[in-house]
Amino acid sequence: MAPIKPKTSSSKGGTKSSSKPSGNSALKNKKRTASAVGKAVQKKSAPKSGPPKKKKRIYTEKELGVPTLNMITPSGVQKPKGKKKGKVFVDDQESMMTILAMVNADKEGQIESKMMKARQMEEIREARRKEAEARQYDKRSKLEETKDSLRKRHRRKEDASITEPDADPQPEKPRRPSKKRVSFG
Amino acid sequence: MRPLTDTETQTLFTKLANYTGRSLTHLLTDTTSTNDRHVFRIQNSRVYYVRSSLANLATSIARPNLLSLGTCLGKFTKTGKFRLHITALDVIAPHARYKVWVKPNGEMPFLYGGNVVKAHVGRWSEDAPEHQGVVVCGMDDTPLGFGVTARSTAEVKRLEPTGVTCFRQADIGEYLRDEDTLFAT
Repeated sequence: MAPIKPKTSSSKGGTKSSSKPSGNSALKNKKRTASAVGKAVQKKSAPKSGPPKKKKRIYTEKELGVPTLNMITPSGVQKPKGKKKGKVFVDDQESMMTILAMVNADKEGQIESKMMKARQMEEIREARRKEAEARQYDKRSKLEETKDSLRKRHRRKEDASITEPDADPQPEKPRRPSKKRVSFG
Repeated sequence: MRPLTDTETQTLFTKLANYTGRSLTHLLTDTTSTNDRHVFRIQNSRVYYVRSSLANLATSIARPNLLSLGTCLGKFTKTGKFRLHITALDVIAPHARYKVWVKPNGEMPFLYGGNVVKAHVGRWSEDAPEHQGVVVCGMDDTPLGFGVTARSTAEVKRLEPTGVTCFRQADIGEYLRDEDTLFAT
């Protein structure tokens, strides 16, 4: 009785060859060669399956020459190539000083322009005020003039009435009493 | 905690330059007692003005565990603007470009959050334009807060006593009023 060997390999041929005596060695060789060929064929066929993998090469949009869509890419998505990821810190004193100098110059300019504008506005306002004052003065002086002239005329009349009280009664007589008038409309 | 980026530095300096003049450069080059220079650090969107040795030590503390360090200057809003806090007063007051000195009777109304009216102004820096950042001081030169001019110096002279000369932005009364939110996020 042949010793029972535990089944180790799953292939049938393997078990057969181990259990049977070496009488049909040619057959076995044939089988082996066939299996070897098969294996070789299988092995060869494996690299043959490579080319379809090659087709999976990913082309960039540039290579394809696809016209680009006119769309907005969010700022978070945009990644400039060749640039370092993350924030760029300003920690050295020189770069901070340059930023500060820029800011200072900017502010100085702003303040200067503000002051200039304020000064110009002030000048315009002053000129306007002066003009208004001059106009007021003119108006007042004209008024005074007319007042004076009226006063003078009044005084002259008074003087005249004082100096010639007796000579006048006659010319007053021809003056008719005012007619009564009626107006329509 | 990290250093500021380029744009953040520019925004910060632009804001600081509203109140200070050219002497803002002393903030970067200030080496009074020791050779330790001061740096700006950002932590939880708040900007701190810190001694560099202290900033280096603070790197050993995890970001979520670090509440605050150095002098808080203000915070960056989500839109990228910068808001100065009252805690920045000690930094900007010595370098202030324009100042308003408030009479003793105007100190309390200002410290309770009111604007500075003309009747309360004791002294005023000459040639201050409109809408310019100013540091508000008591008559004994104690900085009380900062704000923005409502009128230029020339216009203030013509203003009635109840007219607002300076809009309040921050005052030291906030240390009590905003005690809960000033240092914690």
